[in-house]
Parts: sequence; structure tokens; C-alpha cells
Amino acid sequence: MTNSRTILICSGKGGVGKTTLTANLGIALAGQGARTVVLDADFGLRNLDLLLGLENRIVFTAQEVLAETCRLDQALVKHKQEPNLALLPAGNPRMLEWLKPEDMQTIAGMLSERFDYVLIDCPAGIEDGFKNAVAAAKEAIVITTPEVSAVRDADRVIGLLNTHGVSPVQLVLNRVRPKMMANQEMLAVDDVTDILALPLLGLVLEDEQVIVSTNRGEPLTLNGSASPAAKAYGNIARRLQGEDIPLMDPAKDGRRGIRARVRQLMQTKIF
Amino acid sequence: MTAEPTPQVPFCLRLPAFRSVSWQQWLPAQLPSLPPGDLDLDIGDWSLSCRDLDELLHALDQAGHGVQLLITRCRDTLISAAALGLPVREASNVIPTSEVRGEQPNPPKTKVDLTVHRGTLRSGDHIETQGHLLIVGDVNPGGSASAEGDVYVWGRLRGRAHAGSKGNSNAKIVALQLRPLQLRIAELVARGPEDRPQPGLAEQACILDGAISIEPASPPFLPQQI
Ligand SMILES: Nc1ncnc2c1ncn2[C@@H]1O[C@H](COP(=O)(O)OP(=O)(O)O)[C@@H](O)[C@H]1O
Ligand SMILES: [Mg+2]
Repeated sequence: MTNSRTILICSGKGGVGKTTLTANLGIALAGQGARTVVLDADFGLRNLDLLLGLENRIVFTAQEVLAETCRLDQALVKHKQEPNLALLPAGNPRMLEWLKPEDMQTIAGMLSERFDYVLIDCPAGIEDGFKNAVAAAKEAIVITTPEVSAVRDADRVIGLLNTHGVSPVQLVLNRVRPKMMANQEMLAVDDVTDILALPLLGLVLEDEQVIVSTNRGEPLTLNGSASPAAKAYGNIARRLQGEDIPLMDPAKDGRRGIRARVRQLMQTKIF
Repeated sequence: MTAEPTPQVPFCLRLPAFRSVSWQQWLPAQLPSLPPGDLDLDIGDWSLSCRDLDELLHALDQAGHGVQLLITRCRDTLISAAALGLPVREASNVIPTSEVRGEQPNPPKTKVDLTVHRGTLRSGDHIETQGHLLIVGDVNPGGSASAEGDVYVWGRLRGRAHAGSKGNSNAKIVALQLRPLQLRIAELVARGPEDRPQPGLAEQACILDGAISIEPASPPFLPQQI
């Protein structure tokens, strides 16, 4: 099957919301009818299973699949409430020592035969774990928060994605606080897109419901929550599927929005 | 009389001419005849992606050879090396990126005076050239560009730039938007201006009375002899 999309979710900096996005996007895409699998490539700090509430249902992992001691469908953990979503858990951290980019390609190849979307939760950093994950991906979503250090790391990662021929690369801006942006205490949306020069796939507000749901092991997108972050994740899933949904403007200031758009347009034209 | 330990000049492994053979086939035959230990690697004019380069380094590493220094004439390879964090030196006649490589199959014999890099230098990217350097794209915060001659940025300079890196104090830095974190010309260092630039006004930095000063760019914008 060639219509399958393998998308790497990465950031450079840790703790900016990769795993949260992977879990919520996975549920949202599955809920919209797409057969979706989330692959935990963060072998060192795996917690995708935890966020999805599937921790206690893991029997086999990617490790056993690669070693051919189990079949792929034995290792896939189907989500309880969302049967369109499956998780392929990471092996133990020791796996990092021998895992090669080809191994990740093998796994991703197997998954893409059965699923419409393969979402890879990438480890932070740009070391081996990242290189392995990149080798398996065709597209990427870079997630960052509006902080100088996170944006800097995201920029580095985008450069590496470009040299690896990953395309398209899209941007999600997470933990946006409109008040702080309005008071210029935080980088504005155009400050970020200005540097990273990527199409913006979505904005996710800072939302305490995210933390509540994380602790419960039930992604926000699972039970139709009306919280801002849940809506944002749902919209990101729809935009990925090709729907044209306008971006929220945190400043609610039309003029600024237009200026940013014009500026982005000019950027893509010139370079 | 005790023998003085001779200073160890690392062995330099040269790849054959680009595409004359595949290096994957060529390398295994060379491995047995290599002196043990680390070596320098001359990539010549091979255009290697990050992944290719990684594979090549891995093959050498498997045979017990670390690479101390990478020498290349190809800009794509230079960027791949920088991305992998390898110490890299650019050989004298630079082959520009595939996008700007002209029809001529043979690289020019003369020393290249102007190197053109197309595309944005992102955080962590670094370019170093002899002669002048023209970047068609931005230099982002965390990226840096250095040239023995002038540095021209047809875009926004928001990272670091060093012109006259071998001491030429007549060198200048020109950008459509000059908002660098740091500027260097010859031995002088300056932090970028704090205020927002006027839109649409190209600026240049050069040495005036022993200090780096910034002014509107004045023609000729590009070097006359290329
Ligand atoms: N939009 C958000 N609002 C509030 N908290 C968030 C948001 N996104 C992520 N978080 C919190 O940030 C922390 C790190 O998120 P996580 O997804 O684990 O990051 P990563 O996988 O990039 O390391 C978690 O505690 C998560 O609940
Ligand atoms: Mg994580």
C-alpha cells in the first residue's frame, strides 16, 4: 500500500510535547476513521504507552519483532476504546546500543503496509536515537514552544531533516499563552514562523486539561473534551488529512494575522 | 641517543574521483592497506548526504579508523559533515551545491573567488570559505558563516558572520537585513545592533577607525572581480 504516511514527530529539545501530540493526534486520526499506529522510538524515556493508558497491556515490543521471536500483530497493542489505533511499544533502553537506521526502516515498512498513518514519537536530541527515527520517516512534524531555546533546537532539527530529505516538514506551536504573547513576554507566533520558515500545522494553547489527562492515561481527544487543547489536536488531525481549517489567532488581532501571512508568503516566494 | 618521537602526521585517505566507482565497492579493498588508527579523509568532489557520510564513517569505524579531519570540495558534503559535527576543512576549489553547479563537468582549475551557498543556514550549520561568500538565504540564530573575504547575505543575517577570517581588515559583511548575534571582521568582534532595522534597507558592516561600524550598504554591493 503506497498511500500510507509515515510521520516523525520531533523537537530537538525535550519536554516540549512530542509524546502528548503523538498520543492525541493518534487518537484523533483514528477517531476520524484512519487506521493509525503510533510507534514509540524514544527507547530511553518511553512513555507513549503510559499516555495512552496501555502500559499494562504490553507483552511484546518492537525488539521481539525485529528479532523475529514474535509476529508484528502479536506486538501491536490495540487501543481499548479506539480500535483504529494501535501502539507498537519500544523495547528496553539497551536496544539503543544495537538498533540501526535500517531496523527502524524495517519496522516502519511493516507498519506502513497495514496502516494509513504511522506516527513516530521521536526521542529528544540529535544523536543516534534521532538518526534512527529519521531514517524511517518520510514526513515530519516539528513541535516547539514559543521559547528561544526550544526554537533554536527546532531550527537545528529542521536543518537535519532537510539534509535527510524528509519532506514535507510542518510546524506545531505548543503551550501558547495568548496573554503572555499579547504582553510580549513570550515570542509571538510570527517570531517563531519567521525563523523556522515552516508551514504552521497548528497552535496548541497551554491547557491544564492536558496534564490532567496525561495523569489519567486518557488522551484529551479520546472523549470529545471541549477544552482548547483537545480542539487544537483535532484540528491538526483534520489539516493533516487535507481539510482547510483556519488557524486560531491567539492575539485575535486580524491585522497582525494578515501581516504574518503576507510575510510568510513573501518568504516562500523569495527563498 | 634516544630517537625523538616524530610528530605523527595522520594518514590521509583519498576517495577516487566522484562517481568513477562506487565508494562502497572501492573501500573494502583499501582497508587492509591502511595504517592503523585515525586518519584524515579527503572526500574530493563526492557529494555525500548526511546518511552517505554517516555510512562511510561507520564503515571506517568498523575497521578501527576514526576520522580526525574531513577534507572536501563539495558544499553539500561540507554541510553534511557540519551536521554530523565533524571537523572539516574545505579544499581550495570549491564545488558549489548541486543547485548552482553549472553545466561544466569539470570543476574550474582556478581558485574560486566567490562561493555561493543557496539555502538557509540553520542553527548549528557552519560554512567556512576562502575568497568571498554569498549566501542566498538567511543565516538563522545559531548558524554561522565565515570567509577570508567578504560575507554577503541575500537574506536576513541573524546568526554570526566573520569576514576577513585570515586577517583582511578591508573585508565587509553585507546583508539585506543585518540583525546578527555577533559580527567579526578580521580580529575585531562586535555584538549585533539591538534596534530593529529599517525595512528594505540593506546594511553593511566594515572597519572604520579601528572599530566595526554599520551603515547603509553602498554600491558596488558585490565584489567587482569574480
Ligand atoms: N499544551 C499543553 N498544555 C499544558 N501542558 C502541556 C501541554 N503540552 C504538553 N504539556 C505537558 O508537558 C510535559 C511534557 O510533555 P511530553 O509530551 O512528555 O513532552 P516530550 O515528549 O516532548 O518530552 C507533560 O507533562 C505534558 O503534560
Ligand atoms: Mg516524550
